[in-house]
Amino acid sequence: MSIATAIPTAVAGHPPVDPSSLRDKVAIRNLEFYYGQSKALKGITLPLYENKVTAFIGPSGCGKSTLLRVLNRMYDLYPNQHAEGQVQFDGMNLVDPGVDLNLLRARIGMVFQKPTPFPMSIYENIAFGIRLYEKLSKRDLDQRVEQSLRRAALWDEVKDKLNANGLSLSGGQQQRLCIARTVAVRPEVILFDEPCSALDPISTAKIEELIDELKEDYTIVIVTHNMQQAARVSDYTAFMYLGELIEFGPTDKIFTSPTDRRTQDYITGRFG
Amino acid sequence: MVDVTWGGARVSAQDATERAKALHKLRLGDVIFHAITRSAALLVLLLLGGVMVALFVGSLPALTTFGFDFVTTQSWNPVTEKFGALAPIYGTLITSLIAMVIAVPFGLLIAMFLTELCPMWLRRPIGIAIELLAGIPSIIYGIWGLFVLAPFLQQYVQPALIATFGNVPVLSSLFAGPPYGIGVLTASLILAIMVLPFVTSISRDVFDAVPPVLKEAAYGLGCSTWEVMRYVVLPYTRVGVIGGVMLGLGRALGETMAVTFVIGNAHKISSSLLAPGTTISATIANEFTEAVGDLYTSSLIALGLILFVITFIVLAIARYMLLRIEKRVG
Repeated sequence: MSIATAIPTAVAGHPPVDPSSLRDKVAIRNLEFYYGQSKALKGITLPLYENKVTAFIGPSGCGKSTLLRVLNRMYDLYPNQHAEGQVQFDGMNLVDPGVDLNLLRARIGMVFQKPTPFPMSIYENIAFGIRLYEKLSKRDLDQRVEQSLRRAALWDEVKDKLNANGLSLSGGQQQRLCIARTVAVRPEVILFDEPCSALDPISTAKIEELIDELKEDYTIVIVTHNMQQAARVSDYTAFMYLGELIEFGPTDKIFTSPTDRRTQDYITGRFG
Repeated sequence: MVDVTWGGARVSAQDATERAKALHKLRLGDVIFHAITRSAALLVLLLLGGVMVALFVGSLPALTTFGFDFVTTQSWNPVTEKFGALAPIYGTLITSLIAMVIAVPFGLLIAMFLTELCPMWLRRPIGIAIELLAGIPSIIYGIWGLFVLAPFLQQYVQPALIATFGNVPVLSSLFAGPPYGIGVLTASLILAIMVLPFVTSISRDVFDAVPPVLKEAAYGLGCSTWEVMRYVVLPYTRVGVIGGVMLGLGRALGETMAVTFVIGNAHKISSSLLAPGTTISATIANEFTEAVGDLYTSSLIALGLILFVITFIVLAIARYMLLRIEKRVG
């Protein structure tokens, strides 16, 4: 299996990428993952480039969400799940047992399939995460909350009701609240696990727009079932099938001239 | 084919009357079934109403004689026939309160351990043990309390409490007097043990009902298990937990046998938790057989009425809380 490390195909609107400008933020090497005895990921090797959006696509059960959940060690919450191999991030191997999980999850944030506002006010939803790591004065905290909400394009809609319960927002607003909450703790990588699957088209467009803006500051990984979405928001795409990485490369190339037959079949809708 | 169809039609015409008869029988059965189920359900309401009326009528003599003084005076004197319910009311409330103060934190901690931290193989044994704790008859708690817990407290715990808090301003009065062994504190401890399974198992159930993704989201921010429980799971399940606490409180308020064994049955309000006291149910259980005179009996029934009202309110609140969380979990 070959990894196409930035062989750009010049497509209209996308200037060719200079390979030397790409930096691996996370480097996955020979990653294997087990649910009990069954192997869910087989020898995944894949770079996640800094300040780029990488999309994981593939049919249900292909392991794309599993791969995402390895990156912030979410699988650790459940017994009988373990990973082997290497996930290099900032000089450490993420899947090593000694890693400080709380710190890791602050540095690699996650946005879930369904909006998950905490049972508290909108303000507290954001401030809660910040307080875990930093002691800020009331003024600084207010400022950071506003900043985060602005970053998630939610500020104008909620600035007059910061004390309302987070659950009172609409689904799309809740999801942006979750993004704001994730951004507020200043992560370096943000993982999106099908962030729009529970949202209407307008909210989806807003979130996609947001992802595009966020990549200036963060490295972004998104799992999606929606191929148009992958094509729209991502710079790089990884196609997975039955726990294996079939093909990885610039999104333009994957969607216009995939090298593997299975990739082609999937993106043209012949299976999956 | 046509023949058969015609033949069939003719036969079914003959059948029609029989079918109607069978249907009629079924309908009659249905009517009877409805009537039986309805009357069984109504019987419950009738019983509840009957108990209320009986308590009210029975307590009328005492209530008319003493009026509002019944709940505000302390003296309980069968000889002069002066009865005041303040001491048992106080005892009921204080023992239940202390029991809840002890049982709620313990119950929540156990529930948190069971849902979040406990390894799979240990979950079932602990869960079953807690349910068994709820199944022990209260008379056994009473015996155990009188013969094991009370002497133990008398010998080791109460002297230590007296020595420790003897010179502390407020606490010295709470822990004053000789270590009897039996008394308000002992009764509260027994109640705490009896209430613990209720608080634990209901909290565990509502914790289990928290969507995993909500917990993952909190962990995803970098929360520790404690922070997830404290700031996300507890607020989310607050209503259900309160419902569980109320159910436990309902049990504590009405518990009779175990408390009667260890509380000391003294009709006075003492500032010390080590002193003997009494509760409503303990008073009734102890004195009903020896109650001579209408006023004495009526006063005991009035005590029962008061207990009925208190527990009714507590249980109504509990039901309401649980209903609200069920709606939300959907």
